Amino acid sequence: MNEERLISKKEVLEQMRISYGQLYRWKRKGLIPETWFTRQSTFTGQETFFPRDKILERIQQIKEMKGDHPLDDLADVITQHVDEKLQVAFDKLQHLKWFDDSILETCKVDRDRTRPLTIQETLCVAVLSRLRKAARSEELSLVQRTLAQRLDAGLLDRITEERLQLYLLRKRLSGGGISAEVSMVSIAPAKAVFDPDTEQVESVDLGHMLERIKLDLAKETVDGSAEQATDDDTEADNER
Amino acid sequence: MNDEKRSASLSGAGKLSGGDYTRVSISGAGKVTGDLKAEALRISGAGKVEGRTEALQIAVSGSGAFGGEVVAEEMRVSGAARVDGAARVKELKCSGSYRVKESISAEYVKISGVLRVGGDVEADLFKASGGFEIEGLLTADKVEIGLGGRCYAREIGGARIDVRRGGYRERGILLDGLVRMFSGRGTAELRASVIEGDEIHLEDTTADIVRGTRVEIGPGCHIGTVEYSERLDVHPDAEVKKQTKS
Repeated sequence: MNEERLISKKEVLEQMRISYGQLYRWKRKGLIPETWFTRQSTFTGQETFFPRDKILERIQQIKEMKGDHPLDDLADVITQHVDEKLQVAFDKLQHLKWFDDSILETCKVDRDRTRPLTIQETLCVAVLSRLRKAARSEELSLVQRTLAQRLDAGLLDRITEERLQLYLLRKRLSGGGISAEVSMVSIAPAKAVFDPDTEQVESVDLGHMLERIKLDLAKETVDGSAEQATDDDTEADNER
Repeated sequence: MNDEKRSASLSGAGKLSGGDYTRVSISGAGKVTGDLKAEALRISGAGKVEGRTEALQIAVSGSGAFGGEVVAEEMRVSGAARVDGAARVKELKCSGSYRVKESISAEYVKISGVLRVGGDVEADLFKASGGFEIEGLLTADKVEIGLGGRCYAREIGGARIDVRRGGYRERGILLDGLVRMFSGRGTAELRASVIEGDEIHLEDTTADIVRGTRVEIGPGCHIGTVEYSERLDVHPDAEVKKQTKS
């Protein structure tokens, strides 16, 4: 069904130089989603496989960040749950250089504002930045309105769960010597199917975007507070 | 009635409506309708909570049934407990019989009685000296099993996995009897389909696949395939059909 390339657990361990203990620990902490584990029978016996790109990227993220954050916090950053109240200080966003002034304008974000951005606003900025090359300015504004109106808390949580994507679509209608082009924005699960006359200009993986936002911002906030690195080969000494 | 938290005690046959309590004690045949939130819940008779249970401490020495999820800092079962949802308990100790329909997630699990779980068991440290049946994955940093009954988990994974014959023996004669009663015959062995870890020591274990960094296959083992990366030792009284080094 899924044409994603798979990688076996053993290969993951070898390539990323991690141990079984680490992998299982990260799984327990919710850093690696349950849905990525697929068990398959191979000629050597039963093995677990993962979607290749996703697992390698995720483990890289975890390895990069685990020194600075306790594992449990990391889970909040990396995984599904979106804290609706998560706010983003504007200057941090500027740091990331995702956007230019026109995008801020479209997103109705004041350039010298002091109030932090909501997660919705941040996502909007991020999505528009991704689209700005492919999309026309009126389309950007359409995307902004879609996100502003539809992106309530419920939808935020569904983004990762249902792997929602934002699609920018165009359709040409012609008849009687006149032709017109219509732009549409749709938020739908990955691999949504559209009619053959519809051109898919661009799609943005919203879940991935959210992760990036949370990760980048988390990196920004680290400021060297090396919390006790509970992870790793500090054997949890549990003689009770 | 005031709004302050109450404590309640059921000693005959009684019903208690759910809500927020300090202490709840059921010593007769008692039922809590709805969700229960309490600092301490003690069931020494036959008690049932129909909804979700959230408590700092839960002690079951009689028979306790939980209709929904159980969330607790500490849960001790010396009688029989049944949870029809998932159990999220920091410290779980069971010397009686404990059945969980879904999964258990905990920091510390110690089983000297019998444990049956329909889903996964996750902990930092899992110690068992009784018997268990885990339909899903058993994962912990450290899995210590002193075979004291029939043990089964579909998969076991963690940093260290240590399985020994009648090793961690901490229970008395009475519990021994109880364990035997629940686990059927006296055969103390572990069966699993896959066992994965960094340090693995096994005895009296039957498994299809064992994967690890340093692996010791002790007496009484029947293993289909061992895949190891650093070291493998196989006891003369063990059978390993195939071994590969990667």
